[in-house]
Amino acid sequence: MTADAGTSSSLDRTAILAIVREQLAEILEKSPEDIPEDVPFSDIGADSLALIELVEALEENLSAYVAGFHIDDEDLEGLLSVRDAVDYVVVKLQGS
Amino acid sequence: MTLPIALDAMGGDFAPSQIIEGARRAVDELGLQVILVGVPDLLGDPLGLEVFACSEVIAMDDDPAASVRKKKDSSLVRAAELVRDGNASAMVSAGNTGATMASALLRMGRLPGVVRPCIATPIPNPGRTPTVLVDAGANAECTAEMLVQFAQMAASFVSARYGVASPSVGLLSIGEESSKGTPLVKETHELLTGMAGINFAGNVEGRDLIPSPVDVVVTDGFTGNVALKTLEGALKFIFSTVLEVIGTNETTKAAGDVLFEYLLPIASQLTPENQGGALLLGLNGICVISHGSSNATAIMNALRVASEMDQAGVVEKLRTTIRPDQN
Repeated sequence: MTADAGTSSSLDRTAILAIVREQLAEILEKSPEDIPEDVPFSDIGADSLALIELVEALEENLSAYVAGFHIDDEDLEGLLSVRDAVDYVVVKLQGS
Repeated sequence: MTLPIALDAMGGDFAPSQIIEGARRAVDELGLQVILVGVPDLLGDPLGLEVFACSEVIAMDDDPAASVRKKKDSSLVRAAELVRDGNASAMVSAGNTGATMASALLRMGRLPGVVRPCIATPIPNPGRTPTVLVDAGANAECTAEMLVQFAQMAASFVSARYGVASPSVGLLSIGEESSKGTPLVKETHELLTGMAGINFAGNVEGRDLIPSPVDVVVTDGFTGNVALKTLEGALKFIFSTVLEVIGTNETTKAAGDVLFEYLLPIASQLTPENQGGALLLGLNGICVISHGSSNATAIMNALRVASEMDQAGVVEKLRTTIRPDQN
């Protein structure tokens, strides 16, 4: 999903979850419905390189809402599942 | 208009001097166009070649994925961007293999339908076209579906690069029988058997890598890398032992004088520096990974391979192989 131009306030948790799922599904060549929220990335075939792909895709996508949206490399270790990633983005957007 | 090949001038044990010398030779001896990507203050004399300036270098021991994110102005990342942006026809690097793959993957992207790119290493096969080993180290853990896709991409590559009409594919295992091997090997065997578009020849063993009865040997990246390094080590040992024996006394030296004429062409064919490196298959662009210890000759050959890949339209052929319905 390509986010429409807008502001961070137009993105709720459901919308962010959809974006994360869609981006990861594209990277893993799966359907978004096959991307569970609570299963560790490693268990759905997402290795470190796939996660970096996800991070870069999210930064590009979410920059449509918050200019220069960036995920800190130091925070990556804490992102172990889709839920972690969504929670992280929600907090990050709230603080923007 | 022929585009230049982007060469990472900072990557490799003998960078930048041997890299630049190899580029110069590729221009002079092969007529290729090459653009060096490097840090001007560290490059030394570019020998009259065009330089695309950057400010950072990804070291051989840097973490691959993290370094690509942190060092966005590195020679590796910039080389991949030159290909992505249509300013270079291919990229070549003798640097950090993981970072080369990460740079190429993140900047060029994957071909539609490709789950994971893989490293394809041509292994010389005296008397016939090389046998391509996939995956030679990009993906330590694989699924059967990934191995099947590696086989498809490698067969398409062999067909485009070496003109083999229906490349035979062998699955690396510990026995020729379909019942031999790990669960991954058995599942892959089942998927490949009778698969349309794949000339599956069944299981092959480690001893079948050289000389090989098949055009493609498919395995996971962990096993492939171990097999490849074992082969390299064994060949190196054999070469050095033969040379040592020949130098034993006057009689053996005289025998060596006679034999060298026959042995040197074989040795030349098997020497890694003449192979041109490994290829990353599955990307939306051409990326050649040269050996970390590449000298000028190895770099020249890697540039030659990159050019030949471009001329053969390998990327487009892979695109058709993976998603025939979208062409």
